[in-house]
Amino acid sequence: MGEVQRIFYIHAPSGWVAGTAYCIVFLGSVVYLWKRSPLADDLAHAAGEVGFIFCSCLLVTGPLWAKPVWGIWWTWDARLTLSFVLWLLFVSYLMLRSYVSSPGLAATLAAVVGIIGFVDVPIDYMAIRWWRTQHPQPVIAGGEGSGLDPRIFLTFMVCVGAFHCLFSYLLIQRLRLARARRELSAIRRALAIRSSED
Amino acid sequence: MVNKYLLLAFSALWVIFFLYAWSISRRQAHLEKELEELKNKAGRGRPSDSRPS
Repeated sequence: MGEVQRIFYIHAPSGWVAGTAYCIVFLGSVVYLWKRSPLADDLAHAAGEVGFIFCSCLLVTGPLWAKPVWGIWWTWDARLTLSFVLWLLFVSYLMLRSYVSSPGLAATLAAVVGIIGFVDVPIDYMAIRWWRTQHPQPVIAGGEGSGLDPRIFLTFMVCVGAFHCLFSYLLIQRLRLARARRELSAIRRALAIRSSED
Repeated sequence: MVNKYLLLAFSALWVIFFLYAWSISRRQAHLEKELEELKNKAGRGRPSDSRPS
């Protein structure tokens, strides 16, 4: 493969982080529907947005690796299609939150999408183990015959760690933004009540 | 010479993350501006502010 194999160091970690992000969306959605906790809703929303960014990176870097190696940009095999479905789930989750005007209803509907859509994540992960795909077979946790050269493995794990750190940082920033927005709404409501009392 | 696909992949990644970081900072600035406006509005509405010093 030559130089182009280095795309692997950004492509695979993007996929791992996108999966982690959707797990957080799922957990946040479950907690929101159960406890009606605004923090859980904010967490799910933030993870959905940041996850969308990483999933986009996955879908951009994948074809850039595939073209020189396979000779094609894209093929509708199980792994690629399920990753594309994951991206569509992130998009639909965010669109739903933007287009429904009532915040409570938007949070509830988004939580339902977040929970139902989670079905895609384990199937996407297992796709290359269950079916023969154009996408390479697993090299990590892929059973007998799989594995990476120790130097490649170390570099790869450093990249996975770095991508998760970046994800955590962006998630915290996005959560702060959501909290500030909630506080602002509360202040605005309090001012409106005060002005109506005056 | 660097492989063009490798260059494109890393460039795309940087562009996506910079755009997202810019989007977050823009929203943050917008919220700060709104907060400032609300503070001014609240300050004007206080009875103590309207009293002559």
